[in-house]
Amino acid sequence: MIINLCKFLSLFFILIFFGCGQSDKVDDKELKSNLIISYIKNSQNNYLPIDERKKNLEKAYNICSTFEDGIYKRNKIHDISTSYYILKDYRSYKKMNMKAMKIASSINDSLGIAKSYRNLGIYYRTSKIDSAYYYFDQAKQIYSKVSGNDYEQGKVLLDMARILQKTKDYSESEALTIRSIEKFELSKNIKFLYLCYTNLGILAKYLERYDEAVDYQLKAIDYAKGTSNEILQTLISYNNIGTIYKSQKNYDKAKEYYHKALSYTDYLSTKPKRHSQLLDNLAYVNFLSNDMANIPDLFYKALNIRDSINDRYGIATNTLHLAEYYRYIDDYKTARMYAEQSRDVSLELHNNEELLQAYQLLSEISDSDKGLVYANTYIALNDSLVKEERLFRDKFARIRYETDEIVEKNEQISKENQILIIAILGLTTLFLLGYIIFRQQQSNKELLFAQTQQESNEEIYRLLLNQQVKLEEGRQLEQKRMSEELHDGVLGRLFGVRLSLDGINQRANDGFTETRNKYIDELKSIEKEIRLISHDLGAETLPSDVAYIDAVENLIKDLCNVHGIEFEFSNDEDIDWEGIDDQKKVNFFRILQESMQNIFKHASAEIIKINFDYVDDTINLTILDDGIGFRTGKVKKGIGLKNIASRVEQMNGVVSFVSDNESGTTVSVSVPLHTKIVELH
Amino acid sequence: MIDDHPMIIEGYKNTLLGENQREYQIKIDIASNCDDAYASIVKSSETVPYDMLFVDIKLPPSTDGAITSGEDLAKHAKELLPKSKIIILTMHREDHRIHNILKNINPAGFLIKSDLTSSELLLAFNNIIKGKAYYSATVNDHFRKMMTNKFSLDEKNLKILYHLSRGVKTKNLPNYVSLSLSAIEKRKNQIKEMFSIAKADDQMLLEEARKRGFI
Repeated sequence: MIINLCKFLSLFFILIFFGCGQSDKVDDKELKSNLIISYIKNSQNNYLPIDERKKNLEKAYNICSTFEDGIYKRNKIHDISTSYYILKDYRSYKKMNMKAMKIASSINDSLGIAKSYRNLGIYYRTSKIDSAYYYFDQAKQIYSKVSGNDYEQGKVLLDMARILQKTKDYSESEALTIRSIEKFELSKNIKFLYLCYTNLGILAKYLERYDEAVDYQLKAIDYAKGTSNEILQTLISYNNIGTIYKSQKNYDKAKEYYHKALSYTDYLSTKPKRHSQLLDNLAYVNFLSNDMANIPDLFYKALNIRDSINDRYGIATNTLHLAEYYRYIDDYKTARMYAEQSRDVSLELHNNEELLQAYQLLSEISDSDKGLVYANTYIALNDSLVKEERLFRDKFARIRYETDEIVEKNEQISKENQILIIAILGLTTLFLLGYIIFRQQQSNKELLFAQTQQESNEEIYRLLLNQQVKLEEGRQLEQKRMSEELHDGVLGRLFGVRLSLDGINQRANDGFTETRNKYIDELKSIEKEIRLISHDLGAETLPSDVAYIDAVENLIKDLCNVHGIEFEFSNDEDIDWEGIDDQKKVNFFRILQESMQNIFKHASAEIIKINFDYVDDTINLTILDDGIGFRTGKVKKGIGLKNIASRVEQMNGVVSFVSDNESGTTVSVSVPLHTKIVELH
Repeated sequence: MIDDHPMIIEGYKNTLLGENQREYQIKIDIASNCDDAYASIVKSSETVPYDMLFVDIKLPPSTDGAITSGEDLAKHAKELLPKSKIIILTMHREDHRIHNILKNINPAGFLIKSDLTSSELLLAFNNIIKGKAYYSATVNDHFRKMMTNKFSLDEKNLKILYHLSRGVKTKNLPNYVSLSLSAIEKRKNQIKEMFSIAKADDQMLLEEARKRGFI
């Protein structure tokens, strides 16, 4: 019936939708959203006729659909769907949720998807509980992944618990309800807690923990206090408590609570369904407790109300109760009639619990043949119900399992990913380590190579120097020999010749004396010249320690020639190179080499000036170029500069690199000669 | 006549034997090294001593190494032949050597070969025969320089100056002058003080020494 009504209504709205959908074209977003809000408000106005209210929702949706897909639009559509739910237009409710779901999926709005799932679950929870359970489960999955949704999670968990309660999976339902309570408490929103406790009470009753059940129901009333549903919840709880006591066969207590509930006469006058239920329950307890004062009038009072509002579920129960009553007073015929009525209505409603009872009753009050048929039907129905419950439980278990499996799979995958990441990281570190070690070894090798090269360089220099010294010594020896040869040999003989000639000239008087004298004088001047040469040769014009400076000058000359740069070199005569230890000389030599390499490589200079000065027992080496220079602070110390610095340090000296972008670079090295000071004094 | 160059001895002979043959009966022994020279001197001291000895300074030393130069030889000769006139003939004209020879040997004749002409040699010969000493102009110059200075430099100081003037560095001087480096430094400073150029460097010292005729 309801479904048919829904179909009709939605058809009606679709027509309206097309009728006026295009007329509202409002561009301004704020205006539009204001309109939507006001339409939704209108739809919730109880004083308007249902059609008018639905029309408002239709309009709201039309405006909403002009928005771009987004969270705002999705939210509004959900609001509209909720309003449809209030108006009991479940089809439109479902349709709106499908639309919201589509939008949420397209914009990756996981909360929107979850909300749509939950709403779909609500849509199916009366008609197809397995679908409902599936949707709730989906919503739950999503909510559990996003933190800060305790309230929403609590709601979904409660929904699921209530479905499980229906399928008699009480323990599982209880567990979910408790989890739901936890979530609500976390969210500090206790709006739904009374529902939770009501459910717990019902579950406790089914599990025959009656005292607990009553406590839960009382707690539910507590939580309902102050809410808009306070009276309704209190009525429901009282009714439930009455039922609990009825199950306990504590009929007095049951009656007490039913009476308590029935005392809300004003409220009940507007709620005939609740009223009739309470009356029926009270009547039944009276009947059970043999309090027949107003029986069966009370049953009929309830049935009349139910008939008037067509409360079919109520009618099924009510007629069953009447049947029981008539059997009790042995009026089997009337009993059978009510039992059959209850059976028919229950069949129509698929209300299997009542149906089962109806069959049971019928089997007892019918004659043997018919009774057997009813008994058989009862057994078959009972079996099928048990089977169905098991099926549902299996189905839910499967849904749970599947999600568990997905979770497990995810875990597996994440585990695998973790292993993969760890492996990659491990490999990378291993590779890096290997690379670093390789580089280290390489640089060690390079260093070693550089060191050996330096050593060999120094060796070469030393040999060069030795050779130079030997060469110099040899040259000096040779010069000395030549000098002596000239002085003692050639000069002596020349002298002898001259003297002899002179002697002869004295004696011979042939008119050529003058001429001969001239030649004798010439010989004398030759002698003088040779003597001077001999003197020059013999003199220590080139001291032996010139060798080092020669080597230095040769180095500069060679390097400058190779690189095509001019040079000026000066050496202070006062520097006693021979007295300076080899290490210092080698260091100066290398510093020069290094500096000049730097100049050749970087300075693009045209002239290099190198100067050895001697001031206050300190040798000052200045290397100056007219190149492009460098920024002293900016350039990181290269190996060249570092080498120079370390060498100077080794000699207890001071080094400075002064550079100007315009006027080239000056390297100044000052090395004190302590050793020489000791030697001198 | 002692000289290791036969050509020089020839020159002496040529000069002396020309004109003088008529006035003097000249008998000449020659030696070209220290050994021969010494042997001849010893021999003559035992028989007929030489009247005159022509001694070259630079000579091949004796085989036993005791006599290394004409200077040594002359010293021996002065002992062995006290009446002989010794004439030194040498190529060396350095002040300190002249100074040394004059001081050690005080020869009757001192001739610098490079100055020498045959007429001078004859002149010297004749003078010495008559008992007059004869010195070359260079030697006389040396005397004059020595006299004009208020002070005189000893042989070692002269040597220092001489070697410095040849370009030897101070620190190498101990190889040439038998003094320690510090002693040499001290002497240099003394010389500078004597020249009243106390704070002068070597260059100025040498200039001054040249001006004053010590080099």
